[in-house]
Order: sequence, then structure tokens, then C-alpha cells
Amino acid sequence: MWARDVEVMLGVWLIISPFVFVHSDEATLLWASDFAAGGLVATFAALSYWRPTRHAHLLTLLVALWLVAFGRFGAASPLPPGMQNEIVIGLLLMMFAIIPNYATQPPDVWFDQSDQTLSMRAHRASLGGNRP
Amino acid sequence: MSQSLRGFPADSADLSVVIPPWKHNPSAWSQRIPICILALVATVIAAYMAMYQWRIVDDVWDPVFGEQSRKVLDSDVAKQMYGWFGIHDAALGALAYLGDAIFGLAGSTRRWQYRPWLVILFGIDVIPLGLVSAILVVAQGTIVGYWCFLCLVTAAISLALVYMAIDEVYASLKLLYLVGKRTGSAKAVWLAFIGRPFESADQAAADMVRRAA
Repeated sequence: MWARDVEVMLGVWLIISPFVFVHSDEATLLWASDFAAGGLVATFAALSYWRPTRHAHLLTLLVALWLVAFGRFGAASPLPPGMQNEIVIGLLLMMFAIIPNYATQPPDVWFDQSDQTLSMRAHRASLGGNRP
Repeated sequence: MSQSLRGFPADSADLSVVIPPWKHNPSAWSQRIPICILALVATVIAAYMAMYQWRIVDDVWDPVFGEQSRKVLDSDVAKQMYGWFGIHDAALGALAYLGDAIFGLAGSTRRWQYRPWLVILFGIDVIPLGLVSAILVVAQGTIVGYWCFLCLVTAAISLALVYMAIDEVYASLKLLYLVGKRTGSAKAVWLAFIGRPFESADQAAADMVRRAA
């Protein structure tokens, strides 16, 4: 789940970005974009820990697409630092969001489906041990 | 339980099989960790050059070509790319190198079979992007006439990464090729690409591997 952990951190970074990059008071859309995207990314990453919503991290791809598109086209170039930050974080999130949850383990579908329940396997994978 | 040369079921699969013509498992950690470390070194160097382009640092270190580095990083080409992408080209480079490390770290030690999509994505990030960036750096020196030491270092790392990554990408591509040859079905190749287990694909994989010595 390391990709999910990084996504939470990047979400928090987005939420503090308006203060780090000192967005102007007029840039309301940029403030809103940073807060909303950060909150959504962290939420999707957290939801991915719960088995019924384990694919939630894929929704982060949509947020990342928004960040890159808004960051690039939301202002005239040269872009203000806050907009460039959105592009960089958006590109980073695109790379992390496609990493599977238990990336170090073989995918679930490759395990024998007869002897164990899916939740048991997820549990075993979460312990991170090597295969017998 | 004896380990099988087959990938399915993963419970009893040998994850560390060798893929000829090499004598090693291309998805082994001993193969992938050095790639990730080297890619992270390049990430730091590219990020440093991006920091100069952002003027977070005032100068860029170059023990060989001196101020030519600044001329390269502030060149018209670099400015043009800044206009297109909205962020500096060195920042894009840093992201691409970081991507090499991210995609290099994800996956099991038999990911060439379990997640070919991931290995091929990794391969696209490392091989075509790496070659293009190395060519651009050399073009910069020969056409514009200015050289940048750190750019050359990252270009050399790019080429080393291509060499280090090629065995694993070859394994995934060969698997997809064999699945296509065996089944004659584009859908089967697609299913193998996204990492679905099925008999003919697993047999194709078992045929191309050997037990590690």
C-alpha cells in the first residue's frame, strides 16, 4: 500500500499548497482546486484500504487529470508557482494512482481461488510476508 | 511443496525463475533495486537543474563547461518547452526519472508475467523516453554549441537504465508474442497484457523459463 501512503502525503501537500505558494486572494479557483483535489486524493487513498472500495485510488487519475489540465490552461503562461505545483503534483499522482494496492504481491487473481477467501488473502498480503 | 515453473497458482509458483538467454530473473530485486537507485540519483540531479531554472538556486554547478550549463538551461529551446508544458524541462525530466523508480519498485519478482502492463509502462518510461532525452542532450551540444555537465551525467544514466531495464521488458514482450503465436487471438494478448491468468498464456510463460541454478 505504499503508493496509497504517498498519495495521502501528496493530498496533504495540496491542502497546504495555498499557504506554501501564497496564492493571491483573487485566485479563488486555485484555492478551491488545491483544497478539493487534496481532500479527494487523500480520501480515495484511504478508501482503498477498505476492501469493498479497494479500487478507489483509480479515481485519483481523474483528479490528476484535472490538476494537470487546470494547472496548465487555467492561467496564461508563464504560470504562477501555484499552477505549476498543480501540474507537477498531477503528473506525480498519475504515476502513483495506477500502482496496485499490494504491488509487491502477485495479483489476487493469480492465487488458487479454491482454498482461501479473498479477504484472507488480502490480510496475508497486508502482512507483507513472502510466499511459502 | 515443490515450486512450479508455472505462474499459476501463485501460491506454489517459483517467482525467481530464469529467462534465457539471460542467467537471471529479470524481475528480481537484485536487478530492479539498482535501477531504482540510479533513477533516483538522476531525479535529484534533474530536480537541481529545475531549481536553477526556477531560480530557487542562483547558479548551477558545472566543473567542466563552466557557464555553458547556464546557457543550456536558459536556452531558447528550454524557454520554448517552458511555454509549451507550463513547467521547466528539467522538472519534467525529474518526474520521468522518478517514474522509472516508481514503476521499477512496484510488482512482484515475477511481474514480467503477472503484470506485463506495468513492466511495459516501465519500459516506455525508461527506453524511448531515455533515448530521446539522451539524443536531445547531445543535440544541444552539437547544434547549439554549449554543453552542460549535469545534463550529460543524466543522459549517461538514461543510457545505463536502458541497458539495465531491457531484459525485463524483453521478457514481457516475448511472453505477449508467444501468447499471440500460440492462440492467434488479439484478445488473448490483451488479457495477458493486463495480467489475467489463463492456461495458454501460463504455458507460454512456463516454456520460456528455466529453474534458477
